Amino acid sequence: MHPLEQLRDDALREIEAASDEQALEATRIKYLGKSGSISAWGEQMKTLGKEERPVIGRLLNETRNAVTVAIEKRAEILRSQKESVALAGIDISLPGVTVPSAYSGYSGYSTRSIALTGYSGYLPLERGSRHPLTQMLQQSIQIFRRMGFSLADGPDIEDEWHCFDALNTPPDHPARNEQDTFYLPDGRLLRTHTSTVQIRAMESAPPPLRVIAPGAAYRRDEIDATHSAQFHQIEGLYVDENVSVADLKGALEFFLRELFGPETDVQFRPHYFPFTEPSLEVYMRSKALKGGERWIEVAGCGMVHPAVFEAVNKARSDKAYDAEKWSGYAFGLGMDRLAMILFDIPDIRLFAQNDLRFLRQFA
Amino acid sequence: MKFSVNCLREFVDLPKNPEEIAELLTRAGIETKNIETRGANIDKVIVSQITASSRHPNADRLTVCEVDDGSSTKRQIVCGATNYKVSDKVPLALPGAKLPNGSEIRKSKLRGVESEGMLCSPIELGLGSDASGLLILSPDAEVGAPINDLFPADTILDVEITPNRGDLLSHFGLAREIAALSGKQLKAMPREAKIEIKKSGVTIAAPRECPFFSARKIENVKVRPSPQWLRAKIESVGIRSINNIVDISNFVMLELGQPTHAFDADKLKGNINVRLARDGEKFFALDGKTYSLKSDICVVADQERAIGIGGVMGGEETGVTDLTKNIFLESAYFLPVSVRRTARELNLPTDASYRFERGVDPNMILRASQRATELIRKVAGGTPAKEIMTAGKLPANSADVSLSYEKCDRVVGVSINSKTVDEILTYFGLKKTKSTSKGGTWKIPSYRRDLQRDVDLIEEIVRGYGIDKVSGTDRSRSSSSSAADRSHDLESSLRDQLVARGLLEVRTSKLISREAITLDEKAINLCNPLSEDHVALRPSLLPGLVSTLDRNVRAGVQRVAIFEIGRVFVPPAGNEERRLGLLVWGNVTSAPHWRLSEKQTTLEFFDLKGVIESLAIGNVSFRRIDRPDFALATEILSDDRVIGFAGQLSVARAAEIDVPGSVYFAELQADPLLEGQSAAKAFRDIERFPAVTRDIAMIVPEKLTHAEILRTIQEPAEPFLESVQLFDVFETQGGVITGAAGKSLAYRLTYRDKNRTLTNEEVTAADARIRERLKRELGVTLRE
Repeated sequence: MHPLEQLRDDALREIEAASDEQALEATRIKYLGKSGSISAWGEQMKTLGKEERPVIGRLLNETRNAVTVAIEKRAEILRSQKESVALAGIDISLPGVTVPSAYSGYSGYSTRSIALTGYSGYLPLERGSRHPLTQMLQQSIQIFRRMGFSLADGPDIEDEWHCFDALNTPPDHPARNEQDTFYLPDGRLLRTHTSTVQIRAMESAPPPLRVIAPGAAYRRDEIDATHSAQFHQIEGLYVDENVSVADLKGALEFFLRELFGPETDVQFRPHYFPFTEPSLEVYMRSKALKGGERWIEVAGCGMVHPAVFEAVNKARSDKAYDAEKWSGYAFGLGMDRLAMILFDIPDIRLFAQNDLRFLRQFA
Repeated sequence: MKFSVNCLREFVDLPKNPEEIAELLTRAGIETKNIETRGANIDKVIVSQITASSRHPNADRLTVCEVDDGSSTKRQIVCGATNYKVSDKVPLALPGAKLPNGSEIRKSKLRGVESEGMLCSPIELGLGSDASGLLILSPDAEVGAPINDLFPADTILDVEITPNRGDLLSHFGLAREIAALSGKQLKAMPREAKIEIKKSGVTIAAPRECPFFSARKIENVKVRPSPQWLRAKIESVGIRSINNIVDISNFVMLELGQPTHAFDADKLKGNINVRLARDGEKFFALDGKTYSLKSDICVVADQERAIGIGGVMGGEETGVTDLTKNIFLESAYFLPVSVRRTARELNLPTDASYRFERGVDPNMILRASQRATELIRKVAGGTPAKEIMTAGKLPANSADVSLSYEKCDRVVGVSINSKTVDEILTYFGLKKTKSTSKGGTWKIPSYRRDLQRDVDLIEEIVRGYGIDKVSGTDRSRSSSSSAADRSHDLESSLRDQLVARGLLEVRTSKLISREAITLDEKAINLCNPLSEDHVALRPSLLPGLVSTLDRNVRAGVQRVAIFEIGRVFVPPAGNEERRLGLLVWGNVTSAPHWRLSEKQTTLEFFDLKGVIESLAIGNVSFRRIDRPDFALATEILSDDRVIGFAGQLSVARAAEIDVPGSVYFAELQADPLLEGQSAAKAFRDIERFPAVTRDIAMIVPEKLTHAEILRTIQEPAEPFLESVQLFDVFETQGGVITGAAGKSLAYRLTYRDKNRTLTNEEVTAADARIRERLKRELGVTLRE
């Protein structure tokens, strides 16, 4: 055995035996310190012949690396042991810090010398805040509730039927964009829109129905300042006798003017969605907003397509949604977009980054 | 899709201002995304031909050209480009010409040599971004002609066509729509010559995928670069020029919406048959790639092999080349769903497949073939066969649709005059076949296969009538609150409580990164992630909260106290569960303050515990468990039910994300918390009689917990004992007490009776019983 190998084995043994951080540090100095025994070999190299030098050089490097790695590993183990020992002594049944105890050390104005030394539990004195998207959602929900909408809910993980087929988007339909859909190993998918909740709501209750469903949707799309893989929508559905395009316009105009102020201009433009006919896109602009001269698209909507009612009837195995008796409107509002407009936020990615400096702006 | 306003004008009169066209289309649901002006609009720039070129005597990088400008005398021009050869035709800016960049051309001397104008590159004429050399013009260009004739000024509209409107994917189609929307007359298409139809020469063995196929032979064509006008037309809407035959095929597709394909007739072996591919059949396509086909793919084939994927792309071996003499021009109808499936399976979307999958106009198939034939004859010479070979039957038109005026009014919500309704539908090309006072039956034009039900007609009426003329109405109605409503409200009040405690709400992505999965190994992976940042569904709120911590620590914050309420996806089934996540780290305050000691204390486990205890959960307790990655791990119990987890991230784990100090994390199921929130609130009498307090201080063994002491104090119950508060713990770090074996705890006991004032004796007796019990049962040393 080469003396270096002997040295390495000794070092590894000592490292393993080091029972605390001081002992480990002493071992490190002994071998790797400036005048440590491994370091000494570096000096010795100069005296070696040309033949021997590369061989010993490699061995020396290996030894140094092995010892360095072993020290790091041991240090981590010792740290976590120390941590566990320290934490093992903690009585977790002690009461948590609550609001009243935060004031227990307070003794009135006086001099600095009696200022709350060792004072813990300052937590409630910091200002908390709701996430701007939450604020947007809550504000939107409030407005729709004033119009008599109740809430509905559906899962993020959906099947193809609820996401596409029932919404009049059969396989090989140009609007059925599998490219933009995230799939799970079992064949299910992440809903690409909250319109799935339209189907879920109608499956579980007969008309009339007046619901909104806030929730997340997902799109497999390149991410940039206006696109993110996960975004948020409020879906709306109203099915009743004689529901009309005019009712749909009235509802969304009311919503947008409540949210952005009475001077908000709202424009509807014909569009195409497989599950509504007629289909419309909603644009708004408001001089009260920054850059308010421009029309911005904020929602897609339309009259529920009879094929959607037919799909629901099939799933319900009844004729509850008779397209001759009932009509309905549906809409999907982009919450991220609305929050960006309302708060003048330039980049959608800020919502999911949760920089505290960003969040505090909305406290 | 891009449209040339010049081409649209050939079919319909348009407003002068392109903005007006854009507005008209956009308001009718055909969104114009961009308007761009193209082409040259410069005086005194002409076509010239380089007749000689020599080196500049005084400059290595310059040459002296002699050019023909169409007049009898030659001009001498100094030029810096090298991409030309003598005899090339190039644009020449004459003295006095003003270029789009503002410079004016003058006669001048360049390094001592006279230059009578300037030869131009594309960018100098505003014809693209190429600045690398001269713009080499087509050999056909007439010397001396103004450059404006070669590059007529044009406006290009970039229009978004929705998938239901395949009929708008051509200049003719969009012009037809504009005519309908603006009440203008559509100009006639080029007249259709009479042609003989021969039901032979081609066969269809896949009639479902390809109901109709036609081919026409054209002999003795000359394949060469396209004339300038043709090149300019297709290039203006973004299609690359290949040769005159291919360009004509593309031009006709852009003009009429019907894709056609030209084969080299001499490379075909025997008759053409449209059939399904054999499983695993290889196909060498025009894009230079070989595709392995499946048996549901429709191919155009000769007797030996597939020569084209139906409606998608032709084959390389039978494509038109410079040597081609005779061509075989295909024009057919392919089934939309079949083309879409094929294009998707092969990942080969093309201009042709885009149109076929949206449905082409059956009535345009032969017309397009004839239009292409006519253009080929004009541009490439050649003799077309007298007859066109066809097989199969054109797909039938959509069935007639009935519409009642009453239904239309009911759906739109305003009353629209029946005459207006009829007019609008007529403008859109529908014909009334049966008329009653209540409505009528309408024949659908061949190009509008999307019109199938009365609501489809109502949509057209809305578009034609103008959605702005429909005023919004108020249809509010009361509805009772749902389970989702109650759950939302409880969640809101839970959120408010946490905000009131100074926590910031975060909302992290439900899709987590590959790195983050290691924190919770059993996450459900996505089959088709797009980036490493979003590869799996979060199984807990831990990864999101930890990465939020990481980001903010990097940004230099001193304190992170955050929470999130949101769905997680529990593997393996992906059950969706709502959870509350909490994470605290760092200093007690984010900034120093005069009322606080200078030495910042850090947040600790009991701060986290305090938050959890403050939430409305009955009988909450904590129990130690083991969990990888956590140095301290506890289960949170409500009565005997486990409702969550709280712990301290191990140093090693925290170091991995580069966060110094201790990280405290908790995650609770939201539903039990919400149940707690919803518990009925009821009044109970406010205490009227004074309380008496007694303190008990004790030294207890190290291992004895607060919970055990508390239980001993409270059980068996002393009737007057109202509450017990731990108000002091003497303990140095590590739990070792100075000068005593164990730790010192002090409790304040509050006694009270509902109906009277307690006597000192009663309290002392109760207190003595408790003290005795503590000594006897727990062996504590009471400090008197």
